[in-house]
Amino acid sequence: MTYPLADPARGLPDWLSDSLYFLPSLPERIDPLALFALLLLLGLFVGEWLQARVGWPKLIGYVLAGSIFGPSLLGWISVDTLHKIQPLADAELGLLMLEVGRRLDPGWLWRSRELLWGTLGDSLLSFLFIFAFAHYGVGLSPAWSAATAAITMASAPAVVLLAVEQFRAQGQVTERIILHTAISCAASFVAFTLVLGVVHAEQNHAWLSVIAHPLWVGGSSLVVAMLAARLALGIARLLPKSSLAQVFVLIACALLAVGVAHMVAAPVYLTLFMMGVALAVNDQRQSLRYAALPEGHWLLSIILFIVVGASLPWSEFTWATAAQALGLLAARAAAKLAAPTLTNLSLPWRKRLLIGIGIQPLSVTAVFMTHELAGLYPESGLSALTLPLFAAAIMELIGPALCWLALRRAGECREN
Amino acid sequence: MSQALPAFRQSQALSLGVELELQLVSRRDFDLTRAATDLLGKLKYDGRFGEIKLEITESMIEVSTQAQTTVDAIAADLDGLCATLRAQSERHNVGICGGGAHAFHHWPDRRISPGERFDALYQRYGYLAKQFTVFGQHIHIGCASADDAIWLTQALAPYMPTFIALSASSPFVDGQDTLFQSARLNAVSAFPLSGQCPPLADWADFTRHFEFLAACGIVTGIKDLYWDVRPKPEFGTVEIRVCDTPLAVEQAVALAALAQALARWLLRTRPPLHTERQGYVARFNKFQACRYGMAASISDPVALCVKPLGDSIRDLLDSLQDDAQALNCARWLTLLRATITDGGDAAWLRQRQQEYGNLNDVVRACQERFLRGGG
Repeated sequence: MTYPLADPARGLPDWLSDSLYFLPSLPERIDPLALFALLLLLGLFVGEWLQARVGWPKLIGYVLAGSIFGPSLLGWISVDTLHKIQPLADAELGLLMLEVGRRLDPGWLWRSRELLWGTLGDSLLSFLFIFAFAHYGVGLSPAWSAATAAITMASAPAVVLLAVEQFRAQGQVTERIILHTAISCAASFVAFTLVLGVVHAEQNHAWLSVIAHPLWVGGSSLVVAMLAARLALGIARLLPKSSLAQVFVLIACALLAVGVAHMVAAPVYLTLFMMGVALAVNDQRQSLRYAALPEGHWLLSIILFIVVGASLPWSEFTWATAAQALGLLAARAAAKLAAPTLTNLSLPWRKRLLIGIGIQPLSVTAVFMTHELAGLYPESGLSALTLPLFAAAIMELIGPALCWLALRRAGECREN
Repeated sequence: MSQALPAFRQSQALSLGVELELQLVSRRDFDLTRAATDLLGKLKYDGRFGEIKLEITESMIEVSTQAQTTVDAIAADLDGLCATLRAQSERHNVGICGGGAHAFHHWPDRRISPGERFDALYQRYGYLAKQFTVFGQHIHIGCASADDAIWLTQALAPYMPTFIALSASSPFVDGQDTLFQSARLNAVSAFPLSGQCPPLADWADFTRHFEFLAACGIVTGIKDLYWDVRPKPEFGTVEIRVCDTPLAVEQAVALAALAQALARWLLRTRPPLHTERQGYVARFNKFQACRYGMAASISDPVALCVKPLGDSIRDLLDSLQDDAQALNCARWLTLLRATITDGGDAAWLRQRQQEYGNLNDVVRACQERFLRGGG
């Protein structure tokens, strides 16, 4: 057989290449949109399968998908891919932190002293128990122990809010889990900011960093948050309440805050949480009070949890680290069970216990905080912070189930 | 199996009892929320003002006063009950408000309260049970005898449009202005045994009617009769059931005062009843009152004419003055005169909606109005 109009000396591939010159060459990297869609499909497949077959919350499926296909195990999601997709995960984390900040209700704390003591006790005991375990049990230095405690003390706003939304949960256990989560996040961020200085002091004795870094992190987050909240409220006042336009304003201002936080090296989660609190406290005319996140943010939450799953350090797994992480989680669990059970006396003890179970999920911010802190002192930080990272890894898989169990046992999930 | 009709328990004539079904709302967005069992779970309350009970869905709670002889005592009980509930709701961050229907709640989100009776109602009525998340005021009037109770049940029936218009506080349903003043009763109408008590002469007649319904398999107990006015033999009362829960406790007390004065006047003067004729126009008149409130045109089947309801109520209040004075409740009736001119709660709700441009803030305003206490 001959190839018409082709040099017989050249083979079929060359001939095809010449003839089909209009076709693009094989891409060296996957298109970002295609990557986004593939990750969505991957997360959806595992999440839906897990819920349908095992009855577990979908979030666990997303984290599992990220873990299995991430750099630590199969490697289908590369580190480069993770970096590309990170802005989307940041956006969703920001939106969820904004939402939990908006749910922080100082008025309720003021009216109900048992809740005030309960939420403060949760944060204080969690920090102390984890610090004591990390320092005396594992032998970490005081600074890294404090860092470990600050990173892992918060409950998981993303897990809690998404579980409440998925199961349409309503009731006292639900509301108190959300409030505990919001307060523990606030306490964690304050502790983390202070701990930055302590770590600097222990690691390099550079006193300017000791003072300036926490001030920059806290101050820049606060300024960006206040400005974004002001902008959102200012525009929202001009629009009809609960309108779609208001929702878009809220999201646009939140994404603007995410972007500016990146630009000024302020933590996204802290900035957006502060923005949420600022919106809740300053919205005297209820301009944005009733604007809710659209259901479409579920798409981004899939990406967030895949990224979290893929960021978990499974390749560094050792039995010793796993045992230490379990010990940390046990100390943390004791604090988180004790605080609400001993204080929420206006509820039956069973519901108090369920609040304690519902606040066990560990915030995904732990993963981001760990990477941020470890980035400052890679030589010592990475090894010291393996412990919180593994604790987070374990809780990313167990936490959603615990939260779901608490809401369900409290009888607060919608039937069917 | 049908239960036997309980014996009529005599009570002091013209004694009063009031039940209010209240809305439990989230303080975040003012939508209805699931809160009733949590509120009642560890409530420290000795029952001195009456009862606080669950209702069909978890977003409702019912308060009921003790049986009292005076309207002022009813007011004191309601204030005590609401104060108790307010303190508990503060601890749980739940809002409480009046109004016959929630302005924008999504009925599939409602949860049936725990309990055999509620479960049985849900199994029997299906989604109607959840849609029955509407909020009414029931007024009990004590009767000295069972025959008096049946006579009063018949005699009060033509005045139901009056109670509907004076209490109307449910103009919004599913986030929409229904154009009704009281849309709540449309939810009640879906139940097969709602409506009017048929013409009955005395207690023996009522007993025969009940046994007939039971033999037909239609009723198993007195609670199955969702009539606008019905005898309540366990309490020895006649129960008026058409009122929306008003937005303020004072209006609920004023309606109880009207019921007491009207019952006294009826029992004292014993006017001819024309029950059959009234039966023919009852549904029309009820619709008119629900739809137009004070502006309703009420059919008079005896005089064979139509009268504006607002004027009729004004005349009625004038004619009840002596009885109200005798019962020491005349001051409460002046509140009702204001309702005739200002349009009452339904008009207030529409004004708030105009002012705020959204219904979340309307419910917030309702909650603040109820929280102010005593009204």
